[in-house]
This record gives sequence, C-alpha cells and structure tokens, in this order.
Amino acid sequence: MVKGCIFSIEEFSVYDGPGIRSTVFLKGCPLSCEWCHNPEGQDAGIQIVKSPNGCVGCGACFENAVQENGKTVFMERSIKKCPMKLLRYCGKMTESTELCSKLLANREFLSDGGVTFSGGEPFFQSGFLFECLEQLKGKMHTAIQTSGFCESAVFARATELADHFLFDLKLFDEAQHIKYTGVSNRLILENFRFLAKSGKDLTVRIPLIPGVTDTYENIDGLCRLMSESGIYYAELMPYNKMAGGKYKLLGKTYSPSFDETLTPDIRADIFEKYCIKILVL
Amino acid sequence: MTDKTLNFLQFLKSGEYKKMRKHAESFGECPLTAEKHLESFKTALELCRPVLFAEYDDFGFNRDSDLTMMWGSGNVTPNYLRILNTGFDGVKEQIKQSISNTHNIGRKKYGRMMLSCIDLCLDYSDRFRDEIKDKNDRLYKALLKVPHGPAESFYEACVFIKLCIFFLRLIYTDHIGLGRFDQYMYGFFLADKRRGVSCEELFETLENFFISLNFDTDLYWGMQQGDNGQSMVLGGFDVDGNYLYNELSEMCMKASLELCIIDPKINLRVGKNTPEEVFESATLLTKQGLGFPQYCNDDVVIPGLIKLGYDKHDAYDYVVAACWEFIVPNCGADTPNYHLLDFPLVIGNMIKNELCESKSFDELMEKARLAVANECERLLELGKIVVRVENPLLSVFMDGCIESLLDTWSGGTKYRNLGSHGVGISSAADALAAIKKNVFDEKTISAQQLTDALEMNFEGCEEIRNLLLDSPKMGNNDAYVDSIASELMASFSKHFNNKPNIFGGIWRAGTGSAQNYVYASKTCPATADGRRSGQPYPSSFSPSLETKSAGLLSVIQSFTKYDLSDIINGGPLTIEIHDSVLRNDIGIKKTAQLVKKYIEFGGHQLQLNSVNREKLIDAQKHPENHKNLIVRVWGWSGYFNELDVEFQDHIIKRCEYII
Ligand code: SF4
Repeated sequence: MVKGCIFSIEEFSVYDGPGIRSTVFLKGCPLSCEWCHNPEGQDAGIQIVKSPNGCVGCGACFENAVQENGKTVFMERSIKKCPMKLLRYCGKMTESTELCSKLLANREFLSDGGVTFSGGEPFFQSGFLFECLEQLKGKMHTAIQTSGFCESAVFARATELADHFLFDLKLFDEAQHIKYTGVSNRLILENFRFLAKSGKDLTVRIPLIPGVTDTYENIDGLCRLMSESGIYYAELMPYNKMAGGKYKLLGKTYSPSFDETLTPDIRADIFEKYCIKILVL
Repeated sequence: MTDKTLNFLQFLKSGEYKKMRKHAESFGECPLTAEKHLESFKTALELCRPVLFAEYDDFGFNRDSDLTMMWGSGNVTPNYLRILNTGFDGVKEQIKQSISNTHNIGRKKYGRMMLSCIDLCLDYSDRFRDEIKDKNDRLYKALLKVPHGPAESFYEACVFIKLCIFFLRLIYTDHIGLGRFDQYMYGFFLADKRRGVSCEELFETLENFFISLNFDTDLYWGMQQGDNGQSMVLGGFDVDGNYLYNELSEMCMKASLELCIIDPKINLRVGKNTPEEVFESATLLTKQGLGFPQYCNDDVVIPGLIKLGYDKHDAYDYVVAACWEFIVPNCGADTPNYHLLDFPLVIGNMIKNELCESKSFDELMEKARLAVANECERLLELGKIVVRVENPLLSVFMDGCIESLLDTWSGGTKYRNLGSHGVGISSAADALAAIKKNVFDEKTISAQQLTDALEMNFEGCEEIRNLLLDSPKMGNNDAYVDSIASELMASFSKHFNNKPNIFGGIWRAGTGSAQNYVYASKTCPATADGRRSGQPYPSSFSPSLETKSAGLLSVIQSFTKYDLSDIINGGPLTIEIHDSVLRNDIGIKKTAQLVKKYIEFGGHQLQLNSVNREKLIDAQKHPENHKNLIVRVWGWSGYFNELDVEFQDHIIKRCEYII
C-alpha cells in the first residue's frame, strides 16, 4: 500500500462533477501554470504554511525556524509556539483505506454525486489514486479532475477505473503551452483524444486567462479539437483576481505576466460556430 | 415590480423619512399594571401620531416622531385573523358581553381597560383617516371599513394588520411576529381573485405591505437595528400530512427576493416530504444574501412540541416568534427567552474545581452532567421571581383573554410556558473533548497544567493552547466529541423540560443564544477548548469560531446526532456558504438538495447564509460603498453598517473557513 499526500478535502463541492461531491486535493503537480490558484498543490511534499492575517509580531515562529540557503524554514516548533495559531502543516500523509472510509462515511449525502480527485495533478500520485479508485469502485461515483498530463498507459488504466473526467484544456499551441505551464501539451492532447474516443463521461474545462487562453486563435483551436473529437460541451472558468490569494501563505509572490485587470473574453461566438454548448462557472 | 413599488422602495432606502420625524423623549421602564399601560398608551399616542409618508404609500401608520420605549411584553404571535374577521367594533361587543357575564370586579375592570385601548385605537385611526382623505383615496376607503368592521379584501386585511402593529408597539409590545401569513391571509387572497383582482395587483399590494413594515424599524429600545421580531412563517404540514404551500406563500418568497429588505423575516416550514421545487425557490432567496429563509423542520419541531404538552393541532400550527423561538400562535403566551444556560461557563467552573480531583474522564463527565443539572435547578429557582406586566391591548389579540377577561400572562391564554437558551453547547463539548484527549487519553497535558493555563488565560502557554485547539471539535462528524455534546444536551433537557413554572405552564430547553454569544462570553474566562477569556461563543447551535471543520457534510452530521425534538425551544445551526456556490442553477439545485438532506437527517432549524468574506471586510473598511449590504446576525438580518463592530467581527470570523 502506498501512502498519499493530500492537502484538503472539500465537502459539498458543487462544480466538480455531477451531484453533490467531495473533492480530494492531492499534492504535487508537474505543471506550473502562471495562473495557478492552488499553489500549495504544486509541491509534492508536506509544507508548513503561515497565514498572513492576524499576526501579532511576537517572533515566536522565527525563533523556532532554521535558515536554509538564505531562506527561513519553519519547523514544527514554530507551529506549536505561535500564539495566534497561524502556522499549520499543509499536506497530510494518508493511506487509501483511511481516506476511502472517510469518504464513504458521507455516502448518504453523495448518493447522487460522488468523489472527485483533484490537485495539484492527481496523476502525480497515480499509485495512490488507483488504490482509492479501486476501493471506491461500485460504491461511489468517482471523477478525476486532471490536466491530462501523464503517461498514456497510466491514463488508459484510469479510464477503466474512474467514472468521469474533468479535463482541463488550456492552450492549443505547444509553444504557448510550454511558455505558460512549463510543459508541452503533446501528451495532454493525445490523452484527450484517447479519452474522447473511449466514450467515458467527460467534461472539458477551459480556464479563460485574459490575453493568454481567451484569444481567438486559442479558443478556435480548442474548439476544433473538441469538435473533431465529438465533444460538444465545455465549462469555462473566467480568471478570478483571487487566484493569487494563497501565495503569501507559502511565502511566495504571485506575479503573472498577463494583465490581471482585463476581463476575460468568453468568445461565445466561436463556441457557437462549432455547436459547442458552454457553461460559464 | 411596478413603478409605484419601486418609488416606495426608493423612498424607504433614501432614509428621508427619518428626517421627517420630530423628536420625543424615550419611555424608560415599562410599567407593570394594566392601568399604567393604558395611561402611557395615551401619552404615547399624543407623542407619536400615525402619518402617511408619501403619496405611493398605501398603508400609512408610520410614526411622526422618533419615540422609543423599553421592552415590555412580546415574542408572541397575535391572532390577527380573528381580529380581521371581527373588526374592532365586533370585538368591543364581545368584551362587553364578557363584562356583563362576570361578577368579578377585577375582571370587569380589566375588560373596561381593553375597551379603552380599542377606543383609543379607533379614535386615532378615524382621525388619521380624515387627515389623509385627500392624500390617498385607496387607504381612505379602506379605513372607512377597517378597523371598525371586518376586512373584506386582501388589501384591507394588510392595512388592518399594519395598524395593529402600529398600536401594539406603542403600548410596550415588541417583537410580535406576523405568524403564518400565507395561511391566515389566503382566504382574503382567494376572495379577491374570485372578485377578479389580478395576481399582479395582489402582488403589488403585498410588496408595498412588505415595504411599509420597514419604516420605524430603527425605533426599538437598545436593539441592533433589524432585531425587531417581524418574522413571517410560510409553508408547513397539516395534521393529515398535506404540505400547505400555496400561491400566496410563493408570492411572499418572490416579494422578499425582489425587494431585498430586512422585514419581514422569512421562515419556511419544511419536512422530508416538502417538494424539491420549494427548496429550490427558497435557495434562490438565500442567494440574495439576506439570510432568508430560515428553515424549520416540521418532522422534528412538531413531535418536540407535543412532548412538551402542546395539543396536537396547536403543535401543527407552530410559528417562529421573533428570531427562532418555536411557539404556538394565538393561544400561546410563551416566553422562550426567559434566561440562559451558559454551557461554557458552567462546564468551565466545574473543570476549574474538579479536574485535578478527577481520576478518569468518566468521573469528570459525571460531574459535568451534575453541573448541568445543578444549573437547571438554579435557573428554575431563579424563574420563580418572574414579574409579568399586564398589557390590555395585547390581550385583545390573544385567544382566551376576551372570554376570561384575564391578561395574557395571568391565565388568559392556553399556554404560558417559559424557555431557556442553551448557549455555547459546542464550545463546552469541545472543552471536555480536549480534556479527554490531552489529559486522560494521551496524557500530553497534566490536569494541573491545564488548570493553570486556563487561569493564566493561556498567557505563555501557547503550546498547551495549540494542543487544545487541535483536539476533536464539534462539526467534524467525530463521535469522540459529538457524543459529549449529546450528553450535555440530554442533561439539560432531562432536568429542565416540562418542569412547572409559576404561570401554570412549563419550562423548555433550547439551543439558541440570541445576543448572548457576544454578551455572555465577555465575562466568561478562558475555556479548555482553547478559547481565550472574553472571546465570543458560536452563535446558537453552531461550531465554535476557532474550528476549521471538515466541511458542510460533516457539520450537518455532527449537529443532527442528538434527537433535537428533545431540546426544541429553538436555536438554529448556522451555515455560511460562499456566494459563488450559488452563481447558477447547478449550485442552486445542489444547495437545495443539501438543505433537504439536513432536514432528512433530523436537523431542527437551519440558518443558511450566502456570504462573501472579502466583501464584508471591504464593507468594514469602506462602509460608504456598501450601504445596502444586509447580513444575517442571529435570528434576524440587518444592515452590516449599522451593527456594532463586535457583531461585524463575529460575522467575518464565521466566514473564515469557507472557500
Ligand atoms: S508566531 Fe504567529 S503571531 Fe508570532 S510572529 Fe509568528 S506568525 Fe506572527
């Protein structure tokens, strides 16, 4: 049995698949999208985070921290000593059995919905993910929210286990994809085509980032891909200025290269041209 | 919304009417006797005449001065329908009949005071009618019929109610609910429809009536604005299991949704057999952010009231008095807010005195149960020195008083029960669970260390406090602590429910807090759940403020484990959801399903708020940009800007853990 590292479980998530769902957030992601609003999902390991609100400036956290390469690294004692309880672990190791029994405890609520695995990128911990899916099979509806970035064989196995996929399509152009997310989209597109062909339940999600993903060329490219694959429904997620809200928690700064103040373009006309129904979330 | 409605609404929101009032000295202490009530009623009417504010106001009966008076009697729901169907002239005849039927001088005298009150109302309303003759023909015509005679149309009935509220409030009566408006007004509504009145016209009347209820809501003695008890109850099951949700119920929901104002406060009676569409249209209302509706679960409340001795048909007719107190309208003169059992304080004192002597957690828990039992006894004793005021006008509205010529609380009404809040239940349960874990199970803190840390208000004991904060908390569906909460509640209801009170009624235990989550907590020392001295308790029946709960599904399960029909004085579970959840139909539908699940799980009362923390923080910093921001406070909603800062902070804190 492998242990997994999760950083949160959101009960009653309403926009992560059909029905009332619980969403499990797994740590670790091979991408580094500029607009990522879950930065704590990027790093695979357990981190100590510190809330920026409510600090009384007593210094106890720093007194119990160590310096590594000129950076302050908080230790367990920093957590214990903070009088305002502003520090905590982000990420918790758990066994799949423990996690699944927790999820199944809410079965009565989730009867029309189920569980969604998100992240980070859930395939980053594919061994753990598969253990969970195997245990839940037949007991609860499962969905995977993914960037689609993983080896084809792993992805194929997932299509056998999970009931539903929430598949992010970000940028159609490879160079752009590399520029904004740090990786090529070749594997992603390959997995997407495979998934569409498999006939599995699939919801495409497109983050609308002003000047990046909401351009005419990009939306047109993504629509073409969808229509070629026989997918005619997409959920759009317009950029939200709260995206940078959690970087401070991790001691990071959020500095996207695009203009945050612009309102993303929905491009309804392009979707219409391709007969793709959209829902703006 | 019609232009007329829109104009009226804008007039209300402009606040101009407040400037039109003259100043009047407040009335302090409420007199006790009926004579004194009558006297002060006369004075009040002189100082505070009814006026019509604007030409699009079809109701009038607003105050021409800023008179406020101390709280006297209230928290009851008068029988408006009986008065609407009889008219004051008819009521006077009934009283005269009763006077001639009795030889008891005291009762005769009381009856005559009832008559004097009504005469004053009639006199002032006649004068008002003549004053507005050229200003508002519709109202003028209605006032030719009511309040002397019975109301015939929906509009006349609304005018009559508005007038009754105006007069009742000037005789030390506050927090009078509107009751099951959609039920008792339905007859007038249908009759109008049969006469050919269109739904649009009826809707306009309803909306304007709602707006008119919002004037004068700042004129309450020592209250946060909005805490005025003008609750309205919609829906509900009848004895045969039919769900009574009619066209008028739906219209009331729609009016509240459109108007977005704080009165009337909408409560919705539901049960597991309530159709899903009703939950959905209610969730649309939740989306408005007013904190409406508050849900009451018939499947739990009705059996609970029957266990407390209410007759079946009365229990089926229950309403919410002002905030969330379950009472019976018309014939019930219950006082559900009599006093409070301060759980964190009671358990905290027990811990302070007994923890070091206790060898096991079981022993400590036994002492906790005993402490609650002793506190119940003390409260019951305290409840023997209740003073009650006599209010002859209110008695006219309460069933049984006209026949007996007795005051509402002196035997005139059928039910005269008293109730007590149970404040901070989760905080007390969390404290015991933290001790169980740290002192007894894992032995990470010694009993002495803990008592010292509490004594020091955790000064220099950060590690201990953090251990306590990391212990099991209510709201995580964790039996470790939820079972402790159940035991505390069981002890409360066992030693309190159905004990006799001095009015010939009984006592009732509840889960509410009213304003005491802030006020009582101020004097409560540090508690073993990690709460510092003076930090607020959770509002009513909710997770503690410091708790990062596992999520909504867990909260609901934690707070429905105990059989809540045992502790049915009222007091909701409060849940905040981020307004972005409700941004479209999908979110609305799923939220409606969640509420339904709560009901199926056996929750008694649910306060669901749609909030946006960032917006609240911004409103605190820049009130000028958020003049119309309305939030739910405890049993009522108010304008965020008009709340004391500690209530603002509490609301912001409540939202901390939602995404
Ligand atoms: S210990 Fe907590 S309160 Fe003190 S400086 Fe660090 S974060 Fe701030």
